[in-house]
Amino acid sequence: MSTARESVLDLPVDEVPDPEEFIQAAMGWHFGRETGSPFWLERARSLDFDPRRDVRTFDDLALFPNVTGELRDVRAADLVPRGYGDRPRIVGFYESGGTTGAPKRVPLLADWVERIVAWNARNMDLRGDPQGVDWLALVPTGPHMFGELVRRQALLRGGVAFTVDMDPRWVKKCLAAGRTEEAGRYADHLVEQAAFVLETQQIGVLAATPPLLERMARDERLVALINEKVKTIMWSGVHMDPDTRHLLRTQVFPGIGIHGGYGSTTMLGGVDERAGLPDEAPCVVDPYSPYITFSVVNPETGRPVGYGERGQVQLNHLSKSMLLPHNLERDLATRVRQPGNQIGDSLSDIAPAAVFDDQVVAEGVY
Amino acid sequence: MPGVLELDVLGADGPYRAHRRTPVTDVAGRQSAELSLAPGLLVHRALAALRAASAPPADRRAAALREAGRRFAGEVVAGLSVEEYEHRTSRVSGLPITTVRSAVRALALAADLAHRTARDGKPRAATENWKEPLPGGRGAVWIRRGEVLCVNAPGNHPAVHAGWLEALALGYRVAVRPSRREPFTLHRLVSALRASGFRDDEVMLLPTEHAVAQDLVRGADLALVYGGDDAVLRHHGDPRVLTQGPGRSKILLHGGDWQAGLDTVVDSVVAEGGAACVNATAVFVDGDPAPVAEAIAERLSGLRGLPPEDDKARLPVYPTAAARALEAKFAASVGDARPWLGGEGIVEELGDGSAALRPSVVEVPHAYAPQTAVELPYPCVWVAPWSADEGSGPLKNTLVLTAIGCPERLLGQLVAEPSIKNVYMGRHPTHHHFPGVPHDGYLTDFLMRGKGIIQG
Repeated sequence: MSTARESVLDLPVDEVPDPEEFIQAAMGWHFGRETGSPFWLERARSLDFDPRRDVRTFDDLALFPNVTGELRDVRAADLVPRGYGDRPRIVGFYESGGTTGAPKRVPLLADWVERIVAWNARNMDLRGDPQGVDWLALVPTGPHMFGELVRRQALLRGGVAFTVDMDPRWVKKCLAAGRTEEAGRYADHLVEQAAFVLETQQIGVLAATPPLLERMARDERLVALINEKVKTIMWSGVHMDPDTRHLLRTQVFPGIGIHGGYGSTTMLGGVDERAGLPDEAPCVVDPYSPYITFSVVNPETGRPVGYGERGQVQLNHLSKSMLLPHNLERDLATRVRQPGNQIGDSLSDIAPAAVFDDQVVAEGVY
Repeated sequence: MPGVLELDVLGADGPYRAHRRTPVTDVAGRQSAELSLAPGLLVHRALAALRAASAPPADRRAAALREAGRRFAGEVVAGLSVEEYEHRTSRVSGLPITTVRSAVRALALAADLAHRTARDGKPRAATENWKEPLPGGRGAVWIRRGEVLCVNAPGNHPAVHAGWLEALALGYRVAVRPSRREPFTLHRLVSALRASGFRDDEVMLLPTEHAVAQDLVRGADLALVYGGDDAVLRHHGDPRVLTQGPGRSKILLHGGDWQAGLDTVVDSVVAEGGAACVNATAVFVDGDPAPVAEAIAERLSGLRGLPPEDDKARLPVYPTAAARALEAKFAASVGDARPWLGGEGIVEELGDGSAALRPSVVEVPHAYAPQTAVELPYPCVWVAPWSADEGSGPLKNTLVLTAIGCPERLLGQLVAEPSIKNVYMGRHPTHHHFPGVPHDGYLTDFLMRGKGIIQG
């Protein structure tokens, strides 16, 4: 069924497609009657443009409306392109954290997960991370993709990931209800389980969300264990403020490579911190062009901000398995020039949109 | 005095300049400094370092406190002369510069005497040194209830920071979180303490965001938390936390001769820019309050707004929006009470984005009128009738109560009432403070306890 044009969607991991050729092929695939998903074929009827005719360049992706909200209701199977045939290799249906209401669902297909995991693994090679070691992952598991991706990354690099069950929705629920102490107890519960693994197993790579990494960093016994055993720490899931990142790199875990990532359910994976950044430099992530790409835009106008300026992150996922263009994330970032011949922007200092300062007015006497 | 100062975190490893910094602006909205904010991880490591440090020897503590007081009030500290510190503090807090200057003297005196005043509340039978022979080998030793104290400090008035110096004198290791509105005083004070003999792991300045402040309070052994009624309520019943809430200081004018107390009343309302917890919030009159309110209003009506750094300034200055918000809060509190001053508005704009708050004087209909508990950070006083059969009831929940012309029996009741923290008998303004008179009980009631011992 595959045409020459579509084969650009199936290039080997280390071969970078021409972006425009790739975008056009993807439009052909996702909006072809025989190949597109039921969701997109139906959705195309209410678009005021023809994706196959009008979307030819990276900038044209901005023609699409943001459909990620619809992922809360749509049947996950309807998101699988028909071109995969009757028995698509679906790894699973995965869900977002549900920060803003009901979770969004996406299908994870084998060809895509193999591609993104291989790319993440290649980035680890570029950084000189160890092969053949076991991992410990304190990341969302269950319906969340993160745990599955980490498990596969470890396997691909010759190790096995030990995991700890983690339900980020419960934490968010506690925090939203002001039950910070309960959220803290849950975090302690997770860290306690991690300690058993760290004590008894030879762990070379530690993957964790920033809050859990920080909690481990408060425990001197765990810090000693990690410094003794772990060669590489990878964090992702939520942002890490630059001050905490700097402290972790320079004071808490000075001999260990600490690398950030930026991922989400609607990215269907994550991208990695640029290799070789000095401790003083901010965390920069590069796109996985042309599959996972970013723009940094002014939230009022939707237009790109200048390089070095802050704006809202807009991301595109574009692969054979899924099309999720023009998705405005809640995160803010500084727009950074991407290296080489890629499309879209790199990002630095990613942070949640709302950071409130306390104000003088309401303080009264104090 | 141009230039934006950098106020670093003073943590376990010396000054720390964070990526995350918050502007400190003066009352006209001009930036005066930027304050580094300590991330949670740094706070936890700082607390661990404080805990790991042992109490410095008592003689070093005493000498360092005395020396720090001297430096604070007289020398260049952290690159800032006294004059520049006072000017900047006045500009960002909006307090009259004369108030800031007297606070500097008060802080220096408190540091000088902290080693002594910290022991005013020591039980006579207890010893501080357990090796010292006790009579008959039996008795008590006075010990710290914890090792690490956190102070979540306010920014309304520099002199309030005198309180926790006693904790240092007693050997506590102390982490102070300054307010983001006026961090200069605590930055200067902690810098002076460090320059005078306290080590980096013995006293720290940890400015943080709100969320991290809770970690600080929870992570220390004991916490001294300043705040409004909400903070008091939040920590109610927690034996690890001592809250310092609104003062709601009051004056009772007993007997017919209220004129004799008028100077005291006016001074108690308007001194310190009216922004301290020891300023009088309400005046209770044995008899008709109207002539008293009228007389206070007349005395205060001539005050005019001036930039806070002006030697003649008496009124507090705020950013105009904040001043308007306080005016609205005042107006909402007046209700059907009778304003003698300030009823037409209290904001006087100074033309540079800042505004002074002029005094307000309001007569309320009865002694239990809810307004008497409304403490606002400018010279604002509620004048209420009081009669002998009401006794101490309406005078409860008071930091300082000045009782003028009171009969002995009533004084006895006021002294016995636990929710009144200080009773000043006679014409002493509520804001007057003397070493040896505890501010809100002895701080050592919270910091220390007696432990029974039998020696040998």
